[in-house]
Amino acid sequence: MSETAAPTKTEQKRAINRLKSMYPLRNLVQQDYIDTLQASSEGKPTVWSMLNYWEGDLPLKAMGLNIVYPENYSTLLASTGTAEPFLDASDSDGFPTHMCGYGRSTIGYSYRMMKELGGKIPPEAPVGGMAKPTLLLGSGIICDARFKWFQALGRYFDAPQWCLEMPMMPTFEGSEPDLEEYQVKFLTREVKAFIEFLEKLLQKKMDWARLEELIDLAVRIHETTWQISELRQSVPGPMHSTDFWSSMPPSLFFAGDMKVALKLYQDMLSEVQDRVNNKVAAINYPEKYRIVFAELPPWHSLKFFDSLAEKGWNFVYESYGYHAPKPPDLNKTSDPCEKLARLARNFIFNIHEHARADNISNPLVEQYLRIARGFKVDGFFLHPLISCRAASAGLRSVQEFMLRKLDVPTLWVEGDIIDKRVFNPQETLARAEAFEQTMDHYRKVRQSKGLGW
Amino acid sequence: MAIAINKGLSLAHDIYEDRGRRVRELRKAGRKTIGYICLYPPVEIITALGMVPFRIFGNMSEPITLADQVSTTVVCPFLRSIIDLGMKGKFDFLDGVVGAHTCDIGAGIIIQWRDYVKDTPFTHLIDVPHTDHPPAVEYFAGQLNSFKRHLEEHAGQKLTDDKLKKAVELHNTQRRLVRQLYDLRKPDPPLLTSAENLEVMVALFSLPVEEGNDLLEDVIKQVSERSDRPGRKKARLLVWGPVFDNTSLFKLIESAGASVVVDDTCVGTRAFWADVKAPYDLQALAQRYLVDIKCPRTYRQAEPAETRRDYDKDLDSRFNYIRKAVVDWNVNGAVLQSVKYCDTHGYEVPNLRHYLDTLGIPSIYIEHDYSERSLAPIKTRVEAFVETLG
Repeated sequence: MSETAAPTKTEQKRAINRLKSMYPLRNLVQQDYIDTLQASSEGKPTVWSMLNYWEGDLPLKAMGLNIVYPENYSTLLASTGTAEPFLDASDSDGFPTHMCGYGRSTIGYSYRMMKELGGKIPPEAPVGGMAKPTLLLGSGIICDARFKWFQALGRYFDAPQWCLEMPMMPTFEGSEPDLEEYQVKFLTREVKAFIEFLEKLLQKKMDWARLEELIDLAVRIHETTWQISELRQSVPGPMHSTDFWSSMPPSLFFAGDMKVALKLYQDMLSEVQDRVNNKVAAINYPEKYRIVFAELPPWHSLKFFDSLAEKGWNFVYESYGYHAPKPPDLNKTSDPCEKLARLARNFIFNIHEHARADNISNPLVEQYLRIARGFKVDGFFLHPLISCRAASAGLRSVQEFMLRKLDVPTLWVEGDIIDKRVFNPQETLARAEAFEQTMDHYRKVRQSKGLGW
Repeated sequence: MAIAINKGLSLAHDIYEDRGRRVRELRKAGRKTIGYICLYPPVEIITALGMVPFRIFGNMSEPITLADQVSTTVVCPFLRSIIDLGMKGKFDFLDGVVGAHTCDIGAGIIIQWRDYVKDTPFTHLIDVPHTDHPPAVEYFAGQLNSFKRHLEEHAGQKLTDDKLKKAVELHNTQRRLVRQLYDLRKPDPPLLTSAENLEVMVALFSLPVEEGNDLLEDVIKQVSERSDRPGRKKARLLVWGPVFDNTSLFKLIESAGASVVVDDTCVGTRAFWADVKAPYDLQALAQRYLVDIKCPRTYRQAEPAETRRDYDKDLDSRFNYIRKAVVDWNVNGAVLQSVKYCDTHGYEVPNLRHYLDTLGIPSIYIEHDYSERSLAPIKTRVEAFVETLG
């Protein structure tokens, strides 16, 4: 292991056995905020981007742009307890209160910056805040809010916008033999159009060699994170969900320097492998229950997971939408735009392909059935969100299929990603105690049916 | 004594009250019936293959009970109502269901239909891109081709160019007749109420296109000649928003002293304003559905790939059809309504209200959960709003 900070005494006492390699990865994203502020102060262009599953991140980086991700920044607002005034500001400007918590906090931040502070960064903003954008990059993948909320930001910023496309792969319709190439062709054209737009906007040409280099790094990062994910099937679970969430930005949207990130993920792979070899668990208590968290976490209350770790709950996997799948073979083409198209499309295609093979309509359900088997899961912690349709809509189906197909029970806990007022940790802990008996019961049921765990 | 033939507004009312009646009769007579959700499945393809398109709505009067077992409550209650009715067997007269990726939950509804609404022989989901970029229009045309091939298998026949052309002409005729019907609300007072108008629209979504066209011709003739016109009201309103398939909101507004003279909803103008243009092929359908239908689900810009952005210019490029409606129907107020948890419409609200402000049109935003009961608290707000328009 290298260049990882030693845990402090406080951390050593924690119920969760944090990976040392997580800390430097976590720090990378903070550096992006600092760099973007610096770039902005020097008059350089800065980008606010939605997660786009790599279709847009890499062209932006290859053009030398500094990027921040308001979705990620909203998690910082939530975890530092500074989100509520921004939510209120969004409400006061007329946006419906049931919209995405990330969207509302970004809208409130923008309102405060542009309507109350004349373009200055709100002084209460954590990590120095997000610099004023000169480009807004929306995305059509995963949820409608990703392009609608950036479109709505035109109310505050005159920055140009672009909306990245992404086909939505219907599970069974996706079985048409020519579909993959037809979708790749569409996405490739979209990537080319986006790059042409960037060139026109920035008045400079794409550095294609740099883009190729970044695509290569992206593939190597995803190969590494995929290997880490595979290792997490081990018993006891070697990496806790909180470590995954803390370390995911350099994989999910390539936060920080990608060469550095690759090295840090390789360090993480080594550390997780060491834990697997030595049967070291991700919690400092005997692993009694192996739990999967679906889907988006309560960023404002992550310490809550310590209380569950003390009870022997090990969160062994989480949030499928945050995991990069095993990257596709990109050696079939020399066109970097097509490579990007294939890399991005793989995120969606991968899960639908599995679902189709299992004759299951809902890819989210198929994904979690596969994880439940592979990770020998005792229970699911389902977290439907008051403000997010995309991450909540399929959870009832997950609940229903999980019990019917695998006799794996689920704990249903309503909450929110941003608004901590709708999450009750005490009540949830009380329900968790009762849920242990349910998990014990179904463990016996599975064993009696010969399900294997 | 002659037997009165049920036609015109009376027929529309009867169909509105029992939407599946005619489709069940046709199915019994051997016609295949294809339900579709939202505006984006192209009805022309269904009609051209000899099937009856039937737009699926929920039911605001029926509590959602079964759907809560398979769907979270924080998603669109209109779509939850559809699944609820499906699980209760209320769409058992359909041979197939077509959905489209009009929004994320809308796309997911077909997945839920496959899993929880049994015995529907044909299901299909059409992917709809998020933008009107040229490659997106081409991709969407490919999606329509995929749908066409799948439906051909189900129909047991091929879709010829001639059949498609005839179907497009029939549906374009229907769109022209609907626009004529809306013209009858331009006078002051309007010649028919918004509730009557909605009953006709809902009936059109429940009939084969030829019968719908006959109904429209009858209604237009009847209304043009009627002596029992609605009275003059103090306000002439535009209603905007996603699906609203129930007359209750319009009755509520009109009881508050206003006439709803035009709308921008997907059960009204949004469904009928754009024609399919020649040469009536799949590319033309893609253009009509993805580009020409003005639903907030599609991302549009004032100029393609614009490197400078002007807020007011952007709003005008997206909403200038509303400006035209305001002028043509002499509107002096707008009611923006949305079903709760509708992201595509929700993000539009402050910007559209700003745009209406620039036109000098006061507006109100109301939200409901797609139940008749949820409208009751809105009444006072609407009354107060209408009062201000004095």
